[in-house]
Amino acid sequence: MILDCDLLIGRDIVYGRSVGAEELDARLTEAGIAGGAVASLRALLFDAPSGNDEARVAAAAHGWLPVAGVDLRDALGAEREIERAAEIGIRLMRFASTREGVAGGAPRIRLLARAAAERGLTLLVEGSVPEVAGAFMDLGASVVFLDLHFYDLGEFVLLARQEPGFHTSTRLMGGPDAWETVVGELGAERLVFGTRAGWFEEESVLYRLGTARLSVTDRQLVTAGNLERLAGVGA
Amino acid sequence: MIIDVHGHLGPWFFSPYGGTASDNLRIMDAYGIDIQLVSGSEAVTYDPTTGNAAVAREIGDQPRLRGLFVIDPRNLAAAEKQLTELLPTGLFVGAKIHTHYSATPTGSPAMADALRLCAQAGLPVLVHTWGREILDLGTTVDSVDGVHAIAAHLAGPDWRLAPEAASRSDRLWLEPNYSVAESGRLRWVLDRVDPRRMLFGSDSTLTDPGVTLGALHAARLSQEEERLIMSENAAQLFALDVGAFDA
Repeated sequence: MILDCDLLIGRDIVYGRSVGAEELDARLTEAGIAGGAVASLRALLFDAPSGNDEARVAAAAHGWLPVAGVDLRDALGAEREIERAAEIGIRLMRFASTREGVAGGAPRIRLLARAAAERGLTLLVEGSVPEVAGAFMDLGASVVFLDLHFYDLGEFVLLARQEPGFHTSTRLMGGPDAWETVVGELGAERLVFGTRAGWFEEESVLYRLGTARLSVTDRQLVTAGNLERLAGVGA
Repeated sequence: MIIDVHGHLGPWFFSPYGGTASDNLRIMDAYGIDIQLVSGSEAVTYDPTTGNAAVAREIGDQPRLRGLFVIDPRNLAAAEKQLTELLPTGLFVGAKIHTHYSATPTGSPAMADALRLCAQAGLPVLVHTWGREILDLGTTVDSVDGVHAIAAHLAGPDWRLAPEAASRSDRLWLEPNYSVAESGRLRWVLDRVDPRRMLFGSDSTLTDPGVTLGALHAARLSQEEERLIMSENAAQLFALDVGAFDA
């Protein structure tokens, strides 16, 4: 089974197009991806409460894991959404500072990340790791970096050795041996399958999966087990 | 059959592995790539003269790897001198110009001079393009008689400019590698550009070939598009003898 940690529904004003839940579901089915963790672009870009409700409805309808997004431009609103997500049992929270035009080093990000970590939420974090990762260090936070590019993999390994809760998505791990480097240096528990299907070419990540030199056990962790653990599935 | 027109040979500062010809071949075998055209990572990022020589040494006994001779447009005298030594080896079937490392815009007179050298040497040239420089490349190529150029990366994030660039010269081809590609990009381009103008390129060993192969798969190529893009266009443009690989 393959699960995608990086699913998005809604409209992206920069891309100029939308991906609805039904379209995404069809796309995942065609690609052989069973589901994953879905967030709403409406929550990240326009209105967090209604967007997060939209993601929860879509997740329930399709058997996906719901992700609550915060709009970091509205720090107080983000604080409320973290509390609301925790109260209703959401386990995954998405931060998208770069998409929202908020500097990765803005103090609010660290404070909100701490609040989320204290509530046991796993953070799915967009943005260049050299620019955004510092805000999540030394919090004991569980984090999946969704936009780690293989150019920065060495830095991530150094970081993740200090931060046992740091993980990376596979989406931009498009360097030869990048997946194997994560597994060899940090363990398969730190690599989480993600494609951002519908926005990024999921086939590119699936091609890489097809040639990845992973044991059967490690492959299961990467493609599904790690995300299920982070989302508290079966806990 | 698969011909990869955008390969590299040598170590990269992004990853720890060695960067030998055997690394290229291992990755090619993983994806069924038969022939790869390679420029030296040393030649692109550090010194064309020593880097081109290193490629010549490494591929001499590797018929699946053919060279792209790296040219720094700011030092054409050095390129001309080395070409007289390396062209007779038959190891180099094309050229490579990286606009950023050589700090040479595609619309500059220096770029036109470099393309002229490629034309004189009979070498099709792969030119790194990022952003709007792809448009200037189309214009410059059209102004240089006899040159055949390939716009690498489809301008990266500005891939929507690729059809306009291709329209500026019928001697400009397109290569689609881009490691952070938006979905649907290649189908969009191929709906606007003749498939005889696109060539498969992976940017391996910097980028895993699966990135571009997956994107091409997502474009749902017709049989004709696949034949042209994956091998036939490259074999024709670079005059490659593919008989031994075409069984």
